[in-house]
Amino acid sequence: MIEQLYFALPMMSVVIGAFVLMLLSNSTKISLHTFNLIAVFFLSISFITEYLTLSNYTTTYLFEDIFGHTFILDDFASIFDMMFTAGAIFTLLVNNDYFKSRTYFSGEYFALILFSVFGMMMLSHAHELLSAFIALEIASLSVYTLVGFHKNKGISSEAMMKYMVLGSMTGAFFILGTALIYAAVGSTTLDDISLYVNSSNMEDMTLLVVGATFIMVTIMFKIGAVPFHSWIVDVYHGAPYPITMFMASTFKIAIFAIALRLYIVNFASINGFWTEILQVLTILTLIGGSWLAISQTLVKRMLAGSSIVHSGYLLIGLSSIGLDSQFAASSIMFYLIAYFISAVGSFGVLSFIASKSRKQMSYEDFKGFAQQRPYIALMMSIFMLSLAGFPSTIGFLGKFYIFTSAIESGQFFLTGLGILTAFISVYYYFKLIAMMYFYPSKSPQKKFPIDISTIIIVIMALLVIWGGIGTSLIPFVPGADGFIDIARSAILSLS
Amino acid sequence: MMSSILTQIIFLPLFMAIMLGVFRASLETLKIGAILSSLGTLILVLYLGYEFDPNGGMQFVINLPWIKNSGISYYLGLDYLSLVILLLITILMPPLYLYILKEDRKGYWYNMMLLQTGVSGAVLSLDLILFYLFWETMLLPIFIMIGKYGNGMHQYNSMKILLITILGSMSMLFSILYIGYMHFETTGIWSFALVDLMKIDFNAKTSIILAAGFLLAFAIKIPLVGFHTWMAPAYGSAPTPAVVIMSSIMAKLGIYGIWRFGFSLFDTTLIYYAKIIIAQALVGLLYYAIRAITEDNLRRMFAYSSGSHLSLIALGLFLTNEYAWSGTLYFIATHALASAGIFIMIGLTYKRFKTVNIKELGGIASKAPLFTFFFAFFALSIAGLPGTGGFVAELLIIIGAFKYNIWVGVFTALTMLSAMIYIFWMLQRTLFGTPNNETDFKDLDIKELLLLFPLMVLLLVTGIAPSLFISSFEPQLLSSLEAVLSATKGLQ
Repeated sequence: MIEQLYFALPMMSVVIGAFVLMLLSNSTKISLHTFNLIAVFFLSISFITEYLTLSNYTTTYLFEDIFGHTFILDDFASIFDMMFTAGAIFTLLVNNDYFKSRTYFSGEYFALILFSVFGMMMLSHAHELLSAFIALEIASLSVYTLVGFHKNKGISSEAMMKYMVLGSMTGAFFILGTALIYAAVGSTTLDDISLYVNSSNMEDMTLLVVGATFIMVTIMFKIGAVPFHSWIVDVYHGAPYPITMFMASTFKIAIFAIALRLYIVNFASINGFWTEILQVLTILTLIGGSWLAISQTLVKRMLAGSSIVHSGYLLIGLSSIGLDSQFAASSIMFYLIAYFISAVGSFGVLSFIASKSRKQMSYEDFKGFAQQRPYIALMMSIFMLSLAGFPSTIGFLGKFYIFTSAIESGQFFLTGLGILTAFISVYYYFKLIAMMYFYPSKSPQKKFPIDISTIIIVIMALLVIWGGIGTSLIPFVPGADGFIDIARSAILSLS
Repeated sequence: MMSSILTQIIFLPLFMAIMLGVFRASLETLKIGAILSSLGTLILVLYLGYEFDPNGGMQFVINLPWIKNSGISYYLGLDYLSLVILLLITILMPPLYLYILKEDRKGYWYNMMLLQTGVSGAVLSLDLILFYLFWETMLLPIFIMIGKYGNGMHQYNSMKILLITILGSMSMLFSILYIGYMHFETTGIWSFALVDLMKIDFNAKTSIILAAGFLLAFAIKIPLVGFHTWMAPAYGSAPTPAVVIMSSIMAKLGIYGIWRFGFSLFDTTLIYYAKIIIAQALVGLLYYAIRAITEDNLRRMFAYSSGSHLSLIALGLFLTNEYAWSGTLYFIATHALASAGIFIMIGLTYKRFKTVNIKELGGIASKAPLFTFFFAFFALSIAGLPGTGGFVAELLIIIGAFKYNIWVGVFTALTMLSAMIYIFWMLQRTLFGTPNNETDFKDLDIKELLLLFPLMVLLLVTGIAPSLFISSFEPQLLSSLEAVLSATKGLQ
C-alpha cells in the first residue's frame, strides 16, 4: 500500500498542487511570481519522484484492489509523465517575465496548468478507455480555458470557442468509439480488448475496428493531422504565448502517449488495418502543414503550421508500426523528445521577446535581431536548425530515426515525401535565421539578461546540441545514445 | 598524438572560434586567434604530409563509436585524395585571412573558422552520417557570409543557394539512410562506415536510384551543367573569401564526393553511366565557356570559367584511365590555387574601383605594373599557361580523353581553346587600352604581395616540376583506379 502510494505520488503531488493553487487563487496578497513558484514546486516534486521510481517496478497496476486494471504503472507512462511535468515546469519558468508583463493572468491560471498536467498524466497511465476519455477531457478542458484566458481579447476568445466546440465534438468520437468497442468486447479495459483482438478473426471484429477508428479520429484531431487541422493555426495564434508553448510542446505529446499504447499493444495484431488510412493522412498532413507553414507571415503562426508537419513525421512512424517496423515505436518516442526540446526552446524565445514588446512577431520584426540580441538570436537559430532537422542537432537524429524506420517498413514514398517536406521546412525556418542575421538592427545591442527565462532557453539550446552530437565517451552523461536508450526502454516496458 | 591529429586539424578552428566567442574576444584578439588557428592547422597538415606514406592506403585512421545504437561512428582517415584537398584548404586559409585583415565585422572571422572545420571534416570523414554532418555544416557559414556580407541581391541569393544545395543534400541523405538500412538488413548490424557499406551488393535498379541521390548532391556542388543555376548569382553577390572557398574548395568537394563515395559504393553503375556524365561535362565545358565570353562582370565571368574547368575535372574523373585520373587530381589542386588567386585579384580590383564590370575597367597596365603582372599570371594560369600547374593537368586530362575516345579528345581539346579566347579578350579589355577610370590606381602593397606570392610560387612549382607531386600520389591513385576497373570489368 505504502509502496503504491509512493508510485502514485507524482500524480498526487500535481493534483494536490492544483487544488492548493485553486484555494489560494482568491487571495490578492499573493503575487503571480509566488503562484508560479508554488506551481513549479509541486511539479518538481512530481518530476523528482517520478525519476526516482523510474525502472523501480515491473509493470503493475495502480491500486489494483480499488481501481482494478484502470491505471497501469510502467516506464512508458513514467517517461511521458516526466515530459509533461518538465514541459509544464519549463513553460512556467520561461514565461515568468511574460506573466508579469500581462495583467490578465491570475492564480487560477497556474491551477489550470496543473490540472491539465494531471489529466495528461492520467492519460499516459490509463489502461481503460473510459478513464482515458475522462483524463483526456480533464486535460482538454483546462487547455480550452487557458486558450481563452485573455478574455478581453477578441482572437483569444474566438480561439477558445473554436477549439472548445471542435474539440468537444471530436471528443464525442472517442466516447462513441469506446461504446462500440464495449459492444464488441464487453469491457473497456485494454487487457480485455487486447485479449479479444488477439483471439478473434478479423471478420468478427468489424465493430471493434470501427470503434478504434473513431478513437483515431479524436487522436488525429488533437495532434492536428490534416484534414482535422483547421483549428490549429488560429488557436495557436489566439492563445497567449505560454499556452501556445504548452500546447505545442506538451499537450501534443500526451496524445501520443495514449495513441502509442493503443496502437502498439492493444490493436497490435490488427494494426495493419489502419496503415493505409494513416499513410493517406500522413501525406495530407505533410503537404498541408508545409503549405500552411510557408504561407504565414507571423512567426507564431508559422510554428503552428510547422507543428502540423511534425505531426506528419510522427504519423510516418505510426504507420511504420503497422508494417512491423522494429524501430518505429522508439523512433516516435525519440522524435517526441527531440520536438519537445526544440519547441519549448523556440516558443520560449518568442514569449521572451513578447514579454518585452507587445508587437505581433512577424518575420519582418525579426530583422536585425541578431545585432540587437546576439545570444538570443543564436539560441533561436539553434532551435530553428533543430526543427528543420539540420545535422548536429537533436532534430536531425529525430528525423534520422523516423526515416530509417519508414525505410525499414518499406515506405519509400513516405520517406521521400518526408525528406521533401523537411527540405521545404528549411525555407521557413531559415527565413527566420536570414531575417535575424542579414539585416542591420534599428536599435542598439542590448545586454543579455540573466534570469529564469533566459537560463531555461540556454539549457534547451544546449540540450538540442548535446542531444545531436553528445557522445557516450563522457561517462554518466547520457548523450544522443542516452536519449535513444530512454526511448527504447519506454517502448520495451509497454508489452 | 598521431591518432588524434586528424581530430586536431578539424576542430582546432572551431575550438578557437568557440573560445574566442565565449570569452567575447576583442576584434584584434579574434583576428590573431583566427590566424593562429589557420597557421596551426597548416603546420599540422604539413606534418601529416611529411609523415604520409604514398603506398600506405588509408592512414591516421581513428574510429570511435559515436551513436552506438545506430552504428554511427566517428571515423576519420586520410589517403592521397583527402591529403591533396586538405592541403589546399589549409594552404588557402592563411592568405584569405591576410586578405580580410582589415575586415572589422567579427562574424566574418567566426564564419571563416567554422567553414574550415566543416570543409576539413567533410574531407576526412569515412562514416557517411559524419560526412553528411560536415557537408551540411560547411553550408551554414557560406549562407551567412553571402546573406550578411554580400552585395547585390545577396539576401535572396543566399536563400537560393541554401535551398538548392540542401535539396541535393536531402537526396543524398535518403540514399545514405537506405544504404545504412541495407547493411542492417544483410548483416543485422547498423553501420554507416564506408568500408562496411562497400561490401553491400546492390541490384542494378537500387544502385541507380541510390547513386542518383548522391550524384544530385555532388552535381549541384560542382556544379555540373543543368545544376548550376545557383552558381552565377552566388559568386556574383558573395564576398571574396566566400567566393574563393566556393570555387577553390567546396566545388572540389563535389568531385571528391563522387570519387570517394560514388566510386566506392556504386562503381559499376557510375562506369555504366559514365558516358552520360562525360557528355554532360563536355556540354558544360562549352556552355560555360560561351557564357564566360558574353559576361561583363568579372566575378560572374570567372564563375562561369570555374564551371567550365570543373566540368573538365568531372570529365577527367569519369574517363577512368590513369592519365585522366592523375590529371584530374592535379587539376583539383592547381585550379584551386589559380582560382583563389584570380578571385583575390578581382576582390582587390573591386576594393580599388568599386566595380568589377569589364566595361568600366581598362588601362590598368599603364598605372599598376605589379597588379597587372599578377592579374595576368593568375588569369593565364586559369587558362592553362604552359609553365603553370594548370597546363600539366589539362594536358593529362586531354591525353586521357584521347585515350578514352578520339572524338571526346578532340572535343575536349577544342573547348579548352575557348578558355584562351575569353581570358585574352578579358585581359585586353581590363589591363590594356585607354583607362576608363580616372581615379588613381594604387599598385599592390606589401601585404597583398605577401598573400599572392605563395600562390604564384605554388602554381609555378606545380607547373615546372609536376613529377615531384604526381609521384607521391600516383601509386595509391593507380591502385584505386585498378580496383574500380577490375570491379567493373566487361562494362568498358
